[in-house]
Amino acid sequence: MRSKLFLPIIAALFLLAVLAHLGFFEWDRLARGFRNLRILGAEMVPPDLTILPTAGAALWETVEMSFAGTLLGFLASLPLSILATRRLFSDWISRLARFVAAGIRTIPVLLWAIVFVILVGLGPLAGTFGIAAYTVGYLAKIYADLFEGTDPEIIEAVQSTGASKLQLVRYVIVPETANAILAQVLFMLEYNIRASSILGFVGAGGLGLVIQIYLQSLNYRRLATVLLLVLVIVLLMDGMSAWLRKRFLLSTQGS
Amino acid sequence: MTQNGHAPIALNAEQVWFSYAHHDAVLKNVSLSIPAGKHTVIMGPSGAGKTTLLRVLAGILKPSRGRITVFDQPVDGRGQRELSPLIGYIPQQLGLVRNLSALDNVLMGALGRLGDTKSLLGLFPRQEINAAHAALDMMGIDHKSAEQVFHLSGGERQRVAIARTLLQRPRIVIADEFASDLDLAMAYEILDRIRGAAEKEDITFIMSMHRIGLARRFGDEVLALEAGAIVRGFIGNEILETDQEDTTV
Repeated sequence: MRSKLFLPIIAALFLLAVLAHLGFFEWDRLARGFRNLRILGAEMVPPDLTILPTAGAALWETVEMSFAGTLLGFLASLPLSILATRRLFSDWISRLARFVAAGIRTIPVLLWAIVFVILVGLGPLAGTFGIAAYTVGYLAKIYADLFEGTDPEIIEAVQSTGASKLQLVRYVIVPETANAILAQVLFMLEYNIRASSILGFVGAGGLGLVIQIYLQSLNYRRLATVLLLVLVIVLLMDGMSAWLRKRFLLSTQGS
Repeated sequence: MTQNGHAPIALNAEQVWFSYAHHDAVLKNVSLSIPAGKHTVIMGPSGAGKTTLLRVLAGILKPSRGRITVFDQPVDGRGQRELSPLIGYIPQQLGLVRNLSALDNVLMGALGRLGDTKSLLGLFPRQEINAAHAALDMMGIDHKSAEQVFHLSGGERQRVAIARTLLQRPRIVIADEFASDLDLAMAYEILDRIRGAAEKEDITFIMSMHRIGLARRFGDEVLALEAGAIVRGFIGNEILETDQEDTTV
């Protein structure tokens, strides 16, 4: 009994200590926060719709960046994930490919954006590369794990027809994992739309710059318009990916 | 027929041993000779090592000891691509790609003789596509060539798997527990079609089975495997005549 309770109690104590350190129990601050929330809310309505043309253009740039970045990252992740598949390549090649993917993934997308702002200058191109880089690291890892999970019997059967490694990838591994490949790209696209709306903070194009300007000039009615636009685009993306999933995934479910 | 009047040996195993890493031997000193043009059925209780034996004979697993030759050529040290004109292999679950059509699955039988560039683009030569349809037709399922495999029934999938192997044009086909899950009438029909195709294409079949009725219908010779060793061999399947119609061993 004692040993069963030991871990939860330690975890609870640790949580309390951490929260105290973070200022969670400073009631004055929390109360001020609630007051400010009311003021902020009041200052955000009604949203200032006169900025729709400016914000709309920035939003379109964000959509372009995430779409191009996701697709570029997806295309680059395929060869890397194939190299990282232990069933296809020798141990050291797959280890090296997994190490590269892990290295890319360790760096958050905002840092990648900063790196590319330094490399190719301010603007949406840097953001696109940043998104692509993060996408490569993430998808290469997911896909390599997926590919390794392909039914070994199918691989053996097609290998015995004399198929080469590339033919195995094309005719067995990709078709067998197609559903999950598509689902992950859609997930990444949704994620990147959200992530790219803040890349403008570091000068990498898109909505972020507009958000930053309105935040710094305390123009909350305009900020509200931008946030509403982000909400609309995220909902649209959700709808689109749900439609794609239904269109392509359901038809291939079965034994 | 060879000069001295005996059928040539399609596949020969000499004192073959096999064990998976850190485990006891699964195959213990197995020796067998399979004459060309005769269909051999390997029977035995589950766990006897049938699947392992077939995978070793197909060159997928390397024997720990012993030697395997296919038409007098050693199997050891040769990759699957090099072996593909000699040996085709159909695993127990058939190894079909479920998201692809029956025709696409059959066309995979031709991959061993096609270069990467065109086959990766999905461009198969016209004569391979015609041959794939012919193989499906021989198995009586060409009318379903465009259907995705997961829409097909168990019996239809077996036909597709055989058609894929026919397109590969190997001289020996090794199939694990083939037709085992089918009802008897369906299994008989498929096995009869296989015998017809084998005769036409000059293919030697080696199959593991656990139903005596099927073994009698299909096998020219039956080998019994027990605890990793060949315990009995029957020629002309005479002994099976005394057994019941469709029991299992």
